[in-house]
Amino acid sequence: MNGAKKTINVKVNGESYELSIKPKMTLLQLLRNELGLTGTKQACMDNSCGACTVIVNKMAVKACSVLAMQVNGKEVTTVEGLASKDGKLSILQEAFLEHSAFQCGFCSPGKLMSSTAMLEEMEDPTEEDIRRDMEGNLCRCTGYVQYLAAIKSVVQKRKEGKR
Amino acid sequence: MKDFEYFSATSLQEACSLISQYKDVGKILAGGQSLITLLRQKLISPTCLIDIKGLKELDYIEFDKKSGLRIGALTTHRAIEKSSLIQEKYNVLSEMEKSVASVQTRNWGTIGGNLCSADPIGDPAPSLIVLGAKLKLVSAKGERVVPLEDFFTDYFTTVIEPDEILAEIQLPPPAANTAVEYMKFATIEAGIKIVSTSVAVTVEAGTDVCKDAKIVMSAVAPIPLITKKAAEMLKGKKLTDDVIEEAAKMAASETDPTTDVHASAEYRKEIVKVLVKRATKKAFEKAKKA
Amino acid sequence: MNERSVVGKPLPRIDGKAKLTGRAKYTTDIVLPGMLHAKLLRSPLPHAKIRSIDTSKAEKLPGVVAVITGKDTWGIRYGFVDTPNYPAEERPIAEDKVRFIGETVAAVAAIDPDTAEDALDLIEVDYDPLPPIFDPVEAMKDGAPQIHGEITRTTSCAWEDWGVARKSHSYTPENNVAARALVTYGDIEKGFAEADYIREDHSRSPGTSHMAMEPHTMVASWDPFEEKLDVWMNHMAYELKRYWLHKTLNIPITKIRIHKTYIGGAFGGKAPCFDYEVICGFLSRKLCKPIRIELTREEVFSSCRNSHRFDIDVKTGVKKDGTIVAQHVKVIVDAGAYKCSAPVAMFLSHAMCDCCLDRKNVRHEGVAVYTNKNFNFARRGHGAPQMRLAADCQYDQICEDLGLDPVEFLMKNLRKKGEVIPNGDRLDSFGLPDAIKKSAEAIGWKEKRGKQRDKNRGVGIGINGMFSGSGYWPFACTAIIRLNHDGTITLIEGDCEFGQGADTSYSQIAAEALGLNLEDVTLISSDSELCPMNYSNFLSGGLFVGGGAVYNAALDLRDKILKVASEVMRAKPEDIELKDKKAFLKSNPRRSYTFTEIQRYNIQKHAGDPLFGLGYKKAVPEIEFYPSLSKGTGRFTDAYGFTASTAEVEVDRETGRIKVLKIVVADDCGYEINPAAIQGQMVSQAVQGMGDALYEEIMDDEGRVLNPNLVDYEIPRAFDIPEIEVIDCSDFEPKGPWGGKEAGECARAAVISAIVNAVYDATGVRVMKIPITPERMFNALKAQEK
Ligand SMILES: Cc1cc2nc3c(=O)[nH]c(=O)nc-3n(C[C@H](O)[C@H](O)[C@H](O)COP(=O)(O)OP(=O)(O)OC[C@H]3O[C@@H](n4cnc5c(N)ncnc54)[C@H](O)[C@@H]3O)c2cc1C
Ligand code: FES
Ligand code: FES
Repeated sequence: MNGAKKTINVKVNGESYELSIKPKMTLLQLLRNELGLTGTKQACMDNSCGACTVIVNKMAVKACSVLAMQVNGKEVTTVEGLASKDGKLSILQEAFLEHSAFQCGFCSPGKLMSSTAMLEEMEDPTEEDIRRDMEGNLCRCTGYVQYLAAIKSVVQKRKEGKR
Repeated sequence: MKDFEYFSATSLQEACSLISQYKDVGKILAGGQSLITLLRQKLISPTCLIDIKGLKELDYIEFDKKSGLRIGALTTHRAIEKSSLIQEKYNVLSEMEKSVASVQTRNWGTIGGNLCSADPIGDPAPSLIVLGAKLKLVSAKGERVVPLEDFFTDYFTTVIEPDEILAEIQLPPPAANTAVEYMKFATIEAGIKIVSTSVAVTVEAGTDVCKDAKIVMSAVAPIPLITKKAAEMLKGKKLTDDVIEEAAKMAASETDPTTDVHASAEYRKEIVKVLVKRATKKAFEKAKKA
Repeated sequence: MNERSVVGKPLPRIDGKAKLTGRAKYTTDIVLPGMLHAKLLRSPLPHAKIRSIDTSKAEKLPGVVAVITGKDTWGIRYGFVDTPNYPAEERPIAEDKVRFIGETVAAVAAIDPDTAEDALDLIEVDYDPLPPIFDPVEAMKDGAPQIHGEITRTTSCAWEDWGVARKSHSYTPENNVAARALVTYGDIEKGFAEADYIREDHSRSPGTSHMAMEPHTMVASWDPFEEKLDVWMNHMAYELKRYWLHKTLNIPITKIRIHKTYIGGAFGGKAPCFDYEVICGFLSRKLCKPIRIELTREEVFSSCRNSHRFDIDVKTGVKKDGTIVAQHVKVIVDAGAYKCSAPVAMFLSHAMCDCCLDRKNVRHEGVAVYTNKNFNFARRGHGAPQMRLAADCQYDQICEDLGLDPVEFLMKNLRKKGEVIPNGDRLDSFGLPDAIKKSAEAIGWKEKRGKQRDKNRGVGIGINGMFSGSGYWPFACTAIIRLNHDGTITLIEGDCEFGQGADTSYSQIAAEALGLNLEDVTLISSDSELCPMNYSNFLSGGLFVGGGAVYNAALDLRDKILKVASEVMRAKPEDIELKDKKAFLKSNPRRSYTFTEIQRYNIQKHAGDPLFGLGYKKAVPEIEFYPSLSKGTGRFTDAYGFTASTAEVEVDRETGRIKVLKIVVADDCGYEINPAAIQGQMVSQAVQGMGDALYEEIMDDEGRVLNPNLVDYEIPRAFDIPEIEVIDCSDFEPKGPWGGKEAGECARAAVISAIVNAVYDATGVRVMKIPITPERMFNALKAQEK
């Protein structure tokens, strides 16, 4: 039948779920409406702002433009999954806080997920790499400077840690 | 968004039989980066989606010295951008991919989906056409190979039949003494392309003479536009600034752009002149060193 | 109080952990049990009579709970400007006529958003098209289609409610004129007669989107037993929204509670009352169910307020040496279908700009005109960016014509610290001279100006001044501080956190006054039921007025603590210092009492009187009501913020594309309560100003917005950001909390002019129509060649 519900299995922030959903449900709707994970934001709905960015199998994607059916069997991380359960912020979250890298904060979850994925993928991104990989995350408040600085500080810290 | 039925194909064969069954009401879903927005805006409302994104058999980048490069249709933009093989042998593709949408879209969207969307401002088509790409289309009935330059027919329209699936993009081995340059022009750095162009220049080894050239443009016509006359003007000539400038003017006269919120038709033509000139010069310089 | 330990420090924001972990609740995150979703049907025509609306098919769609039209909300009026002379004329749903594409004509409530949206397609509206009018100049001509008939009043106006004894009357726009303003001082005839050189120019600023990331959203829940409406909404100050919900829905004001949510950006665009808000409350009460309305991005662009489109003619007379002697300004504001704040914007384009330069003899004429387009509201500067573009670019050109240096020109014409300007405002703090000097130095003015055209590079300068809060009914704020048992405090104030950092800055202000750490402050803010009156933020008065109230409350509590401490310690209050939840003797810090002990003592000895602080502040203490919008008389504000900005650009002459190489923002925002937050505000405005100068414009074709999405309306992204240098040129403001004043709005205007002037320096071509898109630049360069 048209629109009949289907079952998917998905791991979100380390927890496994079996869910019965309508095929038209997007990953964003799944996270926000079914799982109550409202940290992931929606600002445009048409794939053009990056506020809804989450990580699927290590890749940053825009949850508003991925069908929930397509993450069947996959691992999803949202902003709620970055800090440890007992309240320790991730190194990027710390850096965002230290650098005042956010204002209204509506774009911040998306930016955090994009930059988290980038720093997983690239050991030592250049300024150009960082800007290119953050291109899909629009922000109206900050003018980007402080949050690019936050990301760079993490790259720097990691380098120093290595030494 | 309207409800639809959903099938996740487990093999290309299954996908072919599903699409032949549902061809009138169904749509192929790859990364959905274009499709989902269309569904949400109700610009199309298929009653059935056949999801091929999971087909590993269409996700590959392979190279053979004789037959050249084969890219599976489900290869993501990001995989092409990051492929060391492509960076080494077809660098222009890797560079071009950097300017396709955003990382998130490149991570999930596929090269096949991009070509099948037939968006006149799409980035990959010009460079792929210049490189001589062919497409392998398969259906339950069999398969056929179509040169990419014959693939597009109108805005958002291609020769692909409703029951066909794009399976592979094929490129010949890189030509000797040849360089390809891709250039784009937008208001903001990663904005909507007002014009983009890909130019291939082959030089007579050790000379300043252009042996062969191909110029393809996007955003200036309903489909990627091959400016044949302009390319002809380069062939057999020493590529001086004047020669290049004249060819660029010719390229502009071959285009038939439209006016939209990003630029007027007249301005697009002016930009064509500049981009073709700059890209040709750059390709020429590189080809001499190649 | 010389050693400061909390204010003046770039402390991490107190909303950081919530916002960075996804726990911060925004309006879009509010979910209530049994909540329904509403969608709005928008007019496809710019001007038409509504003959009839058939909702029967939509009502029958399974899942649809209610469909309402203008018949249900007939007669409800609201508006940002609602004065005895100019009654409000906005309505939640069009009644017998639509006036712009995107106006609401019906609303559907359903079990989910998709069903509501499907139902919209089933509503049949029979329109009778009327001739539309889109150009304000055409609209003012005789015989043009008239957009509004007589505008009558349906309820008492805000002025009356606040006690202004002036009789209201109806208003009939003639030739589509929504309002006029005329401000004059000096004698411009005489001024121009004295001038050695006179220049006339025209400039145009387009409509732009605030583009706050969180789309406009509201959730309302009616409690039929208590007859009370609970609301979560996008706003910039709950008082105004609550007032209008009370007026439009006829619910007692205290029976409306606006709950705190974080707001995902505002920039002015969320302050006024909107159609969907009235509809949301209306439906919730009608159905006794929670209702949620979240607008799409397209609706935000096409049906919510954008910035004002301005056409400005400026005529300026100067002496040979560059001294300005007279200026005549004619402003046309294209108001759109409803006036909203257009009458204010055209007035503010004078009021906000009069604090920078002494122009001696001024005539400022404004007219706001109705057209069949979406209408507008303040965006970060409210009239100033448009006016500064007109003025600062003309000054730049005058300098070019007379061989003067623009920096010296500005310095020569500056007002002076301590000066009382024509409307009576006194410039107690005035960091503008310093800002001009430092911003010029930082860009390399001397070495670069006029010397890089061969490289297609140029530098330019712009300035601006901005209110620190303005007079608007009643525009006063209160704050309450409770001293807790453990010596910490709870600060209760109404301001709303939409990104500007109010929660953090206000907590810093209170903590500093009481010798506490930021962690010792528990904040209750932005809830209309828990917090006292607050009108600060949407009128440029966040820190100065809202923060001022907090400061006063903290001083009140401090005095009370010191009084009790002096009793306990048998010492004079002035010999006692407060620090780390203790009072101690300055001369002998070991003699100390904790706040807990002091509180305990006070309750024992003073009949159980717990200690709390109460503070309030009014934007302009001397004014009773509004300054006159139409005459520009009366005080505007109690303190001005100032900015000078310089920019360096490079122009690709072949394509017309402009690359900004560097932006300098030198800002006088008074004392910097939180330098990191100030840095954020300045960079933010530098980037928004760059977007305004080069990219952003709401484009329309016969009233239909052509770029209502983020693909076609391009805003700066990570790759477009040039080098940005922020220079602190703060001048201590004696009336501000710890010396602080306005920081959030001033710089944007200065940056726009700086970039536009830099483009001239690079090319020798003057473009006074923004944005200077590559195509616009290209065409200007071509015209120059001819
Ligand atoms: C905000 C945004 C910005 C973008 N910017 C750019 C840009 O700068 N440059 C650019 O080139 N592109 C751009 N795109 C387009 C983007 O590259 C494409 O959306 C993407 O590549 C499509 O791939 P997909 O796998 O997601 O296809 P889908 O969305 O799944 O499919 C697209 C269409 O192709 C059909 N289809 C897909 N795969 C096949 C197949 N194998 N056989 C037959 N039919 C198929 C589908 O039925 C559908 O009609 C942008 C898109 C968005 C949303
Ligand atoms: S909400 Fe997904 S990209 Fe904007
Ligand atoms: S912090 Fe508000 S949009 Fe980025």
